[in-house]
Amino acid sequence: MEDKSMNTQVNYTRLPLAGARKAPNQLMKRLRPVAYNILSLGAGLLAWQLLAMAVSSPFFPGPAKILEAFIQLANQGDTMGNSLWAHSWGSLHRVLVGFGIALILGVPFGLLMGLNKPLYVSTRAIVEPFRFIPPIAWIPLAIIFFSGLPRFAFLIFLGAFFPIFTATQVGVARVEPIHRKVFLIHGASKFQILTRVVIPTVLPDIFGGMRVGMGAAWLTIVAAELTGGTSIGLGRMMVDYSELLKIPEVIVGMLIVGAIGFLLNESLLLVEKRLFRWRWQVSL
Amino acid sequence: MNEPAKIKVRVKESHRYGDLLVHDGIEFDVKENEFVCVVGQSGCGKSTLLDILSGLMKPSEGHVLIDGEPADPKKQNISFVFQEPSNLPWLTVWNNIATGLRIKKYPTAEITKIVNDIIDVVGLRGFQDYYPHQISGGMKQRVAIARAFATDADVILMDEPFVSLDQHTREKMQQEILDIWRLRKRTVIFVTHNLEEAVFLGDRVVILTNKPARVKEEMDIQLPRPRDLLSPEFNELRVRCTESLNATRAPREEAVPT
Repeated sequence: MEDKSMNTQVNYTRLPLAGARKAPNQLMKRLRPVAYNILSLGAGLLAWQLLAMAVSSPFFPGPAKILEAFIQLANQGDTMGNSLWAHSWGSLHRVLVGFGIALILGVPFGLLMGLNKPLYVSTRAIVEPFRFIPPIAWIPLAIIFFSGLPRFAFLIFLGAFFPIFTATQVGVARVEPIHRKVFLIHGASKFQILTRVVIPTVLPDIFGGMRVGMGAAWLTIVAAELTGGTSIGLGRMMVDYSELLKIPEVIVGMLIVGAIGFLLNESLLLVEKRLFRWRWQVSL
Repeated sequence: MNEPAKIKVRVKESHRYGDLLVHDGIEFDVKENEFVCVVGQSGCGKSTLLDILSGLMKPSEGHVLIDGEPADPKKQNISFVFQEPSNLPWLTVWNNIATGLRIKKYPTAEITKIVNDIIDVVGLRGFQDYYPHQISGGMKQRVAIARAFATDADVILMDEPFVSLDQHTREKMQQEILDIWRLRKRTVIFVTHNLEEAVFLGDRVVILTNKPARVKEEMDIQLPRPRDLLSPEFNELRVRCTESLNATRAPREEAVPT
């Protein structure tokens, strides 16, 4: 029904809001935190450099010395001629293999336990104890049973499996009953519900679990490499240089480990943002 | 008209949550292409009745026959418009509407034709690539309605689909649903607690008592469409329905205002 009472013209005069400030430029707003970050980083580096120069000890290098060591390593490699790329890829490919296995096993298991509550409840006693054993505690067994890539992949798998498995399982519980009903009404099979309702619902949770798992995996690799059994790898490189008491190189190793971990997380976030445009929340 | 009923509802007893008796003998027939409104107080078991009608739930005793067969969503073509937003958030408007067709494995070319057709009918042209979270409540329900009508179902069930919309949108949607129903000629069972809506939309109004629910009364609405909410005939029917509904309430409850 048309409401005809609103068709009269009304004229307003615009009064400026008293004391209103001009809105800052949008670009300036976005750049401000970046500027602050750069400033504080610069100030921190400067303070560090001055402190290092004051202390003047080979065990406390300043940013300058670390940069020097980095350039040296990048150009000439380590004492045995292994380049930084070789070390980085050494660690990275172990992580990727172990993580891949964790993904291939973690998601189906998570779905199974999530969809089949009785099964989960009755098998908890077997699975749960493993969750709380840190991957590092498995190192002695890993040394005995495996060597080379399988050893590292095994340890990484242990670190990455549980975050992925748990996130998937918990995600299944979040499937909305009404979405299931929509599918049931149209006569969908269980398989159709699994692929078209459960998996799309759970996918964001799986990615969240992947990021946690990737973080755990990356943290584990350094410890795993410290145990020996290889001459390649960032953890290995750090141990070698610490035995030589060459601290700047050790710190270079640490920074590279941190940088790669950061990049791995960011790439997963990027994929997440593309895949989940339909969400309105921001996930971190 | 003496054709056999399209839908025969013969629910003797149904329970929920163990032994809560929800229905205690609900019987009514629905003719083909009829628009039947089922009304009752909140909590009288209307939604449960729809679950039984759709075959998602079986009554403890009794049956529902659609075209002579027990209601079964796998064998029959049934559609449902839910009260809450039921759109899949990871699909666009277009893909949401196509959901039923995809489940039933229609060929792609046909799906494209049907969805494009029905998008114009519900007035969502231009919004095909939007996601549910980007559109308003009224539009979300229009997507749900489009999805329900896309599969050319034998029976379309609606569970208070406009209850969460504002007055203006609700009136608009009521008119739209009548337009679609007239265009596509389907059998519709529309549940509501809003008597005005029921009398405005339905060929017939079935009034349920409170739990355990029975059919209190069936009222034929013979008014021609479009119906005038202000006409004395309309109001007379509405008053009669209201009185009937009020007579179903427990002594302590408030009466529905006439």
